[in-house]
Amino acid sequence: MDGVSELASEPSALSTAIGLPYTDAVVVAGALVLGITSGVLGAFAVLRRRSLVGDAVAHATLPGVCIAFLVAGVKDVPGLLLGAAVAGLVAALLMVGIERAGRIRPDAAIGVVLSGFFAFGVVLLTHLSNSSDADQAGLENYLFGQAAGLLERDVAVMAALAAVALLVVGVLRRALTTTLFDPAFAGAIGLPVRVLETLMTALLVVAVVIGVRVVGAILMVAMLVVPTVTARQLADRFPSVLVLAGLVGAAVGVTGALTATRGQLPTGPVVVLTGFAVAVAALLLAPGRGVLWRARRLAARRRTVRRDAVLAQPDAPVSGLRDRLARAGLRRRGLLAADGTLTAAGQVAAAETAERRALWTAWLEHGPSISLPDAREPDPADLTGSLGPEAVAQLREAVRGQVVSGYASYGTRIHSRPPEGAR
Amino acid sequence: MSDGLLIVVIAGLVATACGLLGPFLVLRRMALLSDAVSHAVLPGIVAVWLVAQTRAPLPVIIGAAAFAVLCVLGIDALRATGLVASDAAIALVFPALFSLGVLGVTRYAAGIHLDLDSTIYGEIAFVPFDTVWLGGYEVARSGLVLGGVVLLNLVLVGLLWKELKATTFDPQFGATVRLHPRLLSRLLLVASAVTAVAAFDAVGAILVVTLLIVPAATAYLLTDRLVVMVALAIGIGWLGAAAGYAVALPMDSSIAGAMGLVCTACFVLALLLSPRHGLLTRRWRRLRVHPAP
Amino acid sequence: MLMSSTETRTASALEVRGLTVSYRSAPVLWEVDCAFPAGHLSAIVGPNGAGKSTLLKAALGLVPADAGRVLIDGVEGRGALDRVAYVPQAESVDWDFPITVREVVEMGRYRATGWFRRVGRADRAIATECLERVGMTGFAKRQIGQLSGGQRQRVFVARALAQRAPVLVMDEPFAGIDARTQEDLLGLLGELRDAGGSVVVVHHDVAQVRAAFDWTLLLNVRVLRCGPTADVLTSDAVRAAYGADVTWTA
Repeated sequence: MDGVSELASEPSALSTAIGLPYTDAVVVAGALVLGITSGVLGAFAVLRRRSLVGDAVAHATLPGVCIAFLVAGVKDVPGLLLGAAVAGLVAALLMVGIERAGRIRPDAAIGVVLSGFFAFGVVLLTHLSNSSDADQAGLENYLFGQAAGLLERDVAVMAALAAVALLVVGVLRRALTTTLFDPAFAGAIGLPVRVLETLMTALLVVAVVIGVRVVGAILMVAMLVVPTVTARQLADRFPSVLVLAGLVGAAVGVTGALTATRGQLPTGPVVVLTGFAVAVAALLLAPGRGVLWRARRLAARRRTVRRDAVLAQPDAPVSGLRDRLARAGLRRRGLLAADGTLTAAGQVAAAETAERRALWTAWLEHGPSISLPDAREPDPADLTGSLGPEAVAQLREAVRGQVVSGYASYGTRIHSRPPEGAR
Repeated sequence: MSDGLLIVVIAGLVATACGLLGPFLVLRRMALLSDAVSHAVLPGIVAVWLVAQTRAPLPVIIGAAAFAVLCVLGIDALRATGLVASDAAIALVFPALFSLGVLGVTRYAAGIHLDLDSTIYGEIAFVPFDTVWLGGYEVARSGLVLGGVVLLNLVLVGLLWKELKATTFDPQFGATVRLHPRLLSRLLLVASAVTAVAAFDAVGAILVVTLLIVPAATAYLLTDRLVVMVALAIGIGWLGAAAGYAVALPMDSSIAGAMGLVCTACFVLALLLSPRHGLLTRRWRRLRVHPAP
Repeated sequence: MLMSSTETRTASALEVRGLTVSYRSAPVLWEVDCAFPAGHLSAIVGPNGAGKSTLLKAALGLVPADAGRVLIDGVEGRGALDRVAYVPQAESVDWDFPITVREVVEMGRYRATGWFRRVGRADRAIATECLERVGMTGFAKRQIGQLSGGQRQRVFVARALAQRAPVLVMDEPFAGIDARTQEDLLGLLGELRDAGGSVVVVHHDVAQVRAAFDWTLLLNVRVLRCGPTADVLTSDAVRAAYGADVTWTA
């Protein structure tokens, strides 16, 4: 940490630009770079169901960093980053290789590579910390992260690497999206799918290598997943998801890192817990997709079904609490009288419900024979709205027994019979 | 018993406990779930310390099991939303729990021999010095606890052998004949968590995962029979324990780490040279059938 | 619309010579020789495990072949991919992917526009037209994951149409979709054939093939028969291939 306090006394461009004291400025900058890269590049792992490959790559950086230290002898970030990147890439390729060798399944392949590399890293780390100088603390921070120990030029290196990676993503956006969404189609239109998938793995390694310094190897995988999971709940198109993931990653990273620095806590855990909270919030509250939204919609639908049941048969005996609640709701709307019979408005509503049911039954019976202008499919709660008035008119005709010209079916029946001579 | 031999025996006990569970985890594609659960025990240990001020084995094991169950339930809950893939769910839950544990340790557990490094790779060198008196003999406490866990796992696997075998092979069939595959999977994970926490002092969280997965994966490359797979997994674990200790001493490095490394080396050897599935053996066989012109 | 070609063309839309493909030392396709004529609606049929999907994948270079040659519209090698549009079985697709129907169809234009230029107005117009042809116009902005099986299949067919290739190749397009979509699809394929395009389809429904397809390859790892449907799908041939009798009432 001596280097840091030395530099803190000099005026720093970064510090002035962000408007915070030196250490805080570096923390913010580092966490920003981490957040953006792990967010954007992490998407290419998460959407391929390869999140845990990121976990293995993160653990694999440990021996890479140790070897880089052994070879280079100095703790400067570019050298260590290179060691981490090489180790990460080797690990990723090994995982694919082991899986392709045949017997070992993907999860076991990831587990073996993760454990093996990490054990190797632990052996090297303890060997180093027992053998030489007290400068090992920097290496150990690879396990739990330490944003506050970063130097301005470290962040500059990380940012440069990140910029290159993001540029690659921007340029090859379309090829990468196609391969991500439908690899078979991508191959069929001549895309080099294997090369692109290797590229995506390399991007993952870059993200991990940048982020491990800030949140540590063990927790890195969460930083890959949180932004994409959050962004997916809030955006519908892949470019938007990428951008949003970058933003979410940046926000989570900066918030967590600043909190950890102020509170004198290890960076990794604070950032991860912040991210987890954000992801869970998105999963619960995202409009349209979120769990709470869907629960509300489901509850509303169930209420409608129960109310329809009461409208259809108001004389049926009351059956339980939900039925009572349904009746109370109907009474409130003036559809059910106090004595349990239908009011005039209630009878109108009941007739509508009966009509809807009759239409749906008609669809089930005659649907295949009416013609539709396009590939629309019916919504049982609103047949007219979803199918259109002409289709509904055809249904009514069919119900009335009229012949409806629509489709002739290729009626085919296959009878299977074993060849003569067999038992 | 010399200290060195004791260390190897302790590590061997961990290997035995892990080797009993590992094959089922690997075959049921639960290798990474066991990794997640092993991380999740850390907050359990811290929580028990905070609440009960004790590091006695039994309460700690209960706390660990509780957090293991929490981890699994959390992953299942995320998956059940339909909005998160399985691997993403794992990658979200265990780091969050592990973070809680780390924060707990840094904040509250300073000075109770629970520093962060030892959670990763243990302090097996200290094991011979942590003793209790048992029937007039001074025994290493870890050995006692681990011995108990080995027994537990043995009972679990032994009693439920048929059910585990059937549900591993065909969980859907197992569900229809009421063999409760999901319950068995959860039992395996809880047992892994208990093993992880029992082995915490000795080898740390990460290396328990290594001993759970790597020997079992190696055995899978060498045999097609479940019984042999379990025996091989245990054997390879012991090999790792002995050879790892031998390697770590001159290098003055983490004993547990060296043990993991030896197991990985065994895996690589099996991957290349396994009589049935090895890469090199297959190539050699192909060359014999289709000799190069 | 497929490109109905007025240029001089070979008579074969897809030609396979001596194709052998094996998977882990077991042959999946063995010395397959077959030519699918241009301007026809052709089918590939055979029992399970016959190698039908593999034949398509090997023809497109998605799966390595041990031996053999493939010509698509008379062209061999990398250039052949431009002459064919492929609708695979959607096994590797991530349905929760954030992508709209229109974006999927526009993927069909990527090879034409190149990888670094934007999708232009003309390409978007083509995509719209293809959406109309499959009856999915109103769905352009929907997420792919929100559609039913039949609707998704229509989108993938539209994507293939957008490629404007002379040959259309489809792997089990009728599997697992509703009856209405099946019939619409069959009608569409017939229209394409009438306009001069070539269609090759892997199909499981022998009776429907007999009723609607002009040319058939009966395959079971090796070629059993290849030719006009009426010549190929005789009772004897089908019995030999499937081990059972198939009777059909049109």
